[in-house]
Amino acid sequence: MRETYGRLLPEMRLADLAGKLIVIEGTDGAGRSTQIDLLKPWLEELGHAVVDTGMTRSFLAGEGIRRAKEGNNLGRVTQALFYATDFVDRLENEIVPALRAGFIVLTDRYIYSLMALAIVRGMDPRWIRSIYSVALKPDAVFYLRLGIDQLLPRVVFSRGFDYWESGMDLYPSHDMFDSFCSYQAALLTEFDRLSAEFNFQMVDAAAGARTVCAHLQQNILQLLERDSRKNFMSRLYNDSTTTAHAAVQEKAQERANKPADTALFAVATPVATPSTNGNGHHHHATHHGQ
Amino acid sequence: MEIGSGVRIGPFEVFAPLQPAVSTVRHYGEHLFPGRLIVVEGIDGSGKSTQLSLVHKWLESKGYGVVFSEWNSSPLVKDTTKHGKKKKLLTPATFSLIHSTDFADRTERSILPLLKAGAVVLCDRYIYTAFARDVARGMDRDWVRELYGFAVKPAIAFYFRVPLETAIHRLLDGRDGFKFYEAGMDLNLADDSVESFRMFQGRILSEYEKMIPEFGLTVVDATLPIEVQQAQVRQIVKAHLDKAKELRVQA
Repeated sequence: MRETYGRLLPEMRLADLAGKLIVIEGTDGAGRSTQIDLLKPWLEELGHAVVDTGMTRSFLAGEGIRRAKEGNNLGRVTQALFYATDFVDRLENEIVPALRAGFIVLTDRYIYSLMALAIVRGMDPRWIRSIYSVALKPDAVFYLRLGIDQLLPRVVFSRGFDYWESGMDLYPSHDMFDSFCSYQAALLTEFDRLSAEFNFQMVDAAAGARTVCAHLQQNILQLLERDSRKNFMSRLYNDSTTTAHAAVQEKAQERANKPADTALFAVATPVATPSTNGNGHHHHATHHGQ
Repeated sequence: MEIGSGVRIGPFEVFAPLQPAVSTVRHYGEHLFPGRLIVVEGIDGSGKSTQLSLVHKWLESKGYGVVFSEWNSSPLVKDTTKHGKKKKLLTPATFSLIHSTDFADRTERSILPLLKAGAVVLCDRYIYTAFARDVARGMDRDWVRELYGFAVKPAIAFYFRVPLETAIHRLLDGRDGFKFYEAGMDLNLADDSVESFRMFQGRILSEYEKMIPEFGLTVVDATLPIEVQQAQVRQIVKAHLDKAKELRVQA
């Protein structure tokens, strides 16, 4: 069954979250959204239903955060909690329902980015971890890593310096360039630390988008394949036990009834046959023996 | 944690994050700022706001710099809260988080800097409101307490204790029913807003009772005449302000 990082929100049921939660993490300019744009149609082509989500996209708090960031008076604690509000709204109203419906959820950043942003702003790591202890553990975290040298031209030459991406709230006296470098370096250090703690799968984002995508696709396929096999096995196991159970019940009932009434049993037997097709029984035995 | 003047402001450093590392503490921040933080708590209809406004006028007349901060009033956050309430988007978790965001903004923007500047800061509702309401909504007790770990510890936290029925009579005198979240209608306790309010506020009252020893709340019998309560409150406030003056001289 799916797990959280320690605490459970009220009325959050973890059973039957059959979908897959796949996280794409990385700093600004690492190409996260490009990858999600490539992965989504690919997964859909394979027949998976996909939902994608990301920071500040909640119906509840997304607009409020955008407005708050327009001014330069968003405090650090306030920012951390505003993001947490946005995250939990999406967790409860997007991520969990999608997983329950069997979707693949692709999320552009997850609690790790939110932790890193807060920690580089001086928040106590224990405090921010406590808040996000209600988050679901994902099935995979792909960390698109880009060194500061490669990151700089990608971000700055395409869209210029941004106040928040440059951490100007932290280094107001610096010029944007110095501030950007200090801030992004601090973020990278924090990401590398989180990477070890939360088992990120590191992906070298300096490679071209297609190479990165091929790498991600390969890993996602493995994840899905591993899972579908497990699902198949458990379904098989459940099917054969329930049919076996039904057969036993029917036999018992038959014994209680007149032994002449064999028609019921005769009808019941073929029902069990489809699930024992091929080497179904063999699988069952292997699984059971483990 | 120690910053500059030896100020404890919570489990993490709020205002100087990239300064030299500081030790961290678990409990709510004791502060040694020259200002004084005084908060009032209690269920709706307990008369706490009336009492606080009388304290406000009294302190102003004494020449103190007094600033008032109300629950759920951050200019940066309150529109989002309003949007969430109007559209009924809030779950117990997001209700809790958006209120903590509002509180964080008021802490960073006004409460802390004003305490530093030596003001008497009066808060109508404080973290105890969140603890009572969020736990009554089913949030984890420890999670909510940790969420507000950045809060400044008040010099005095008055708890205006009133029986539920008295509060309901006072409130219904002026209006027909209760608002959706105020009555805890999101919890589906009852179809009728008055009945829901009664059940929800009952839970809140029992949370407040538990917090009296936990946080050393100062209990005021809110069934007493307004003047009697105010006299008691002023006496206690006065004792704390004497200390504040001493501190100011030292600084």
